Amino acid sequence: MTDLKKKETVIIPDNMVQIEIDDKSMIVPKGSMVIEAADNNGIAIPRFCYHKKLSIAANCRMCMVDVEKVPKPLPACATPVMPGMKIYTKSKRAIDAQRNVMEFLLINHPLDCPICDQGGECELQDVSMGYGRGISRYVDTKRVATDENIGSLISTDMTRCITCTRCVRFLDEITGTDELGGIGRGDRTQIGTAVGRSIDSVMSGNIIDLCPVGALTNKPFKFKARAWELMSANGISMHDAIGSNLYYHTHKGEILRTVPKDNEALNEAWISDRDRFGVLGQNAADRVLTPMIKEDGEWKTVDWATAMDAAVRKLQANDSKNTAVLAGSQSTNEEYFLLHKLFKSLGCDNIDYRLAQTDFSQPHRLPRVDLSLDEIGKSDQIVLVGANVGHEQPILGHRIRQAWLKNKAKVSAFNPKQYQFNFEMFHHFVANQIDWVKGLGSLAHCIADLSKDKLDTDLGSWIKAQATDENLNNLAKKLLDKNNNVLFIIGQISNKHPQAGLIKALTAWLSNHTAGRVYEMAAGANSVGAEICGMGAQNNVNAILNSDTKSYVIYQAENDDFDNAYLAHTELDDADSVILFSSFADENMKQVADVILPIGLASEVAGSYFNNFAQNQSFSPAAKLPGETKPGWRILRVLANMLNVDGFDYESIDEIAGEVSHIKIHPGHINPDCKVNTIESSGLILFTETAIYDVDMLTRRSQALQDTVHASSDCLSVNSIDAKKLKLENAMSVSLKQDIDGDSMQVELFVIIDDKVPAGSVLVHKCIGFRSDILNVTIIAGEKS
Amino acid sequence: MYQVNPQDNDKTLANELLTAETKTIMDNWLSKYPIDQRRSALIGSLHAAQEQNQGWLSREIMQAVAQYLEIPAIWVYEAASFYSMFFTEPCGQHKVAICTNISCMLNGAEAIVEHAEKNLGIKLGETTADGRITLVREEECVAACVGAPVMLIDGHYHEDLSTDKIDELLSKLKEKA
Repeated sequence: MTDLKKKETVIIPDNMVQIEIDDKSMIVPKGSMVIEAADNNGIAIPRFCYHKKLSIAANCRMCMVDVEKVPKPLPACATPVMPGMKIYTKSKRAIDAQRNVMEFLLINHPLDCPICDQGGECELQDVSMGYGRGISRYVDTKRVATDENIGSLISTDMTRCITCTRCVRFLDEITGTDELGGIGRGDRTQIGTAVGRSIDSVMSGNIIDLCPVGALTNKPFKFKARAWELMSANGISMHDAIGSNLYYHTHKGEILRTVPKDNEALNEAWISDRDRFGVLGQNAADRVLTPMIKEDGEWKTVDWATAMDAAVRKLQANDSKNTAVLAGSQSTNEEYFLLHKLFKSLGCDNIDYRLAQTDFSQPHRLPRVDLSLDEIGKSDQIVLVGANVGHEQPILGHRIRQAWLKNKAKVSAFNPKQYQFNFEMFHHFVANQIDWVKGLGSLAHCIADLSKDKLDTDLGSWIKAQATDENLNNLAKKLLDKNNNVLFIIGQISNKHPQAGLIKALTAWLSNHTAGRVYEMAAGANSVGAEICGMGAQNNVNAILNSDTKSYVIYQAENDDFDNAYLAHTELDDADSVILFSSFADENMKQVADVILPIGLASEVAGSYFNNFAQNQSFSPAAKLPGETKPGWRILRVLANMLNVDGFDYESIDEIAGEVSHIKIHPGHINPDCKVNTIESSGLILFTETAIYDVDMLTRRSQALQDTVHASSDCLSVNSIDAKKLKLENAMSVSLKQDIDGDSMQVELFVIIDDKVPAGSVLVHKCIGFRSDILNVTIIAGEKS
Repeated sequence: MYQVNPQDNDKTLANELLTAETKTIMDNWLSKYPIDQRRSALIGSLHAAQEQNQGWLSREIMQAVAQYLEIPAIWVYEAASFYSMFFTEPCGQHKVAICTNISCMLNGAEAIVEHAEKNLGIKLGETTADGRITLVREEECVAACVGAPVMLIDGHYHEDLSTDKIDELLSKLKEKA
């Protein structure tokens, strides 16, 4: 093959060089390292510290290669290619060097492979099979390292560490959290936190994959199975709409762990901890394994036929006009499609999936997304509008950090809390839930002044009423600069805000005036799929809950998924019948439901998800359906046939997928004008924050995630100024009161004094149950209930 | 190339623990490097912090240094644990560091260490009961091989060591206030 090429004259572009590795000629980019060239051309060079996504450390010395005319072997990861370079990876000198390095690396490495979780998928084990000596010549004492407890996700066995520093570099370069370091010197260097802290990055689980040995392993997976016993199946993230690609590793049909599947366009080589450990919620104690019906207030386990009969009777007992269908945002497109088709055919006009949304002043639509994830890296000015990106879509947060690192992007934000980001803030406007929106209005006012906009629309007159400010004026100038690529990111705080319509119109106005682009987060993992399948085209959840609905169908959702959890609970409790299609049923849902039909999670069924970019990604079942659980689409099909609805003769899910693929997708458009719903409030203003691991039923049940520092708590956070005024102290028990239409809700909570919360604001976690659309709250201290 | 990531702007420990003098020294070091390479000011800052803290670096003072320099605390622990001139545990007033690296070892450093240990009644890495003298554990090459075996007493070089010379130097040290 190479002989033929030698005779041809090859024109080499300026930015490329021609080299030869193991007599194979190749043209590779100038400045690339020998190891990259080899990797891209299918030549294997052993390595431990090198990783394509991390900086070059060249400290393991495993990738030694022989370069012609160089008197000693060189590390392939740190040797740039030169024109005409001839590299031999398998010559005697190269192999000798690799063998010698291997012997040194194994000096301190314990021989505990039989009890090591990495066994069978260990890079050190693999390479030592090829290069290691059968018998160690080392007779001195071996180094032993102490293990640290770094949290509920990652297990440490630091004696196995070969100090490649991949984990250290990952936490410095990718997550920006700098939580691990090399402590000590020389052969006594140990990787650790030095102070015995936990690793708190929301992408921390990736260091498990990066670790080439068994020093950092998956804690919940520990001792569960051997790598060679596992089956691998493709999956798509069930927790955010980036649609990260994953592999589920299963043993006897049960998912034991999750690892990333490389997808350069989406999650690159990483996944968030939520995607890695969220699925572990699958085995929670309240998992429903059999169909159940409630008889005289008692739950009875029944067979499918009985349960379906009961469901049909309940549905037929009420007019479809008085029936409502409310779905979570974690189901597959196929389920949404059938759910919508079935109830629409029955004449039901109460169907929605936007359970966490409060403001429905804007028409239903897809999220507006003007660019791909890759293009985010090319932005110069990024404005986060009500977004704690790293927690809402961790991969998006990663891309913004890359834009800051590599493109020197300036990031600004408007938020109700001083979030700590892993990129620098150009301007962080932090104020209570009402005032940060006004701040965004002030920015618009500055832009209008600079660009001589007349502000003659409804929104314009509101903008005109907002004060201008020097800092915002400075930001406005930057956004108006023609040379700047501007990007606005609308986050979940905006999606759930009582003025969501205003915020979005305002963002659209801003993007129009700055030639900026918009990335609007989808509210849930597959809320885009739900919207495309028509789930949002009917009466909205607010209208449904506030009307006289007699019969409810709840599809893969629970109380905590509703913004107005209290109203949802009382409405469902008052309804004639509630049919719950779900994988889980907690006490709240059991109290209100009459029939429970157990359906599979997205990881257990075939189906597809639309991601934030409206890309359709399909998957096959990874895990076995537990108990008598069935795929939702099958149940919906049978239900439709029992209700004598035509057009439900689907034999396989592919037929439904085919119909989904024919739905015309209308890109999300935001009207840059709106009727402004002003909110005025005095006193303390509430901000209900949805914790990163409270986003859906699975993450709420994943114990490993709930044991991290990011889990929600029954605390309220206030600024030290307010704490002083109200005489509050840390860990003090107080009551928080919210008045709801003459009624009131009062919950006892612990105080956290946190200056990241702006003065005049109270932060509680969403799971406590306060409504996010009533902002006026009072703290009652000193009362013992 | 390490990336200086945004830090939490908590400066509580820096304000509480670092003296004005230490801060002045740190400011001087900071002024010598570009802002994105402020990690370079770390060694000088640690010397100043160690000086104000009875010759050793507590975890809190290392955190204070990190806060003041606005760098991750782990970088401070790494540097402090790496260099033999930084002490992360309480130690004596005077630090005696005998080089045991190659040139000194070949010239009898091991015997010198043994003699010093006997003289002071402590092992390498330990401090005398009166808290006067610490024998520094495993001092690396101090770049004075021409005078091997070499030792440093409180940063000052003493070359061509013999058992007699050690006894003399140590007795002076014991006398010194």
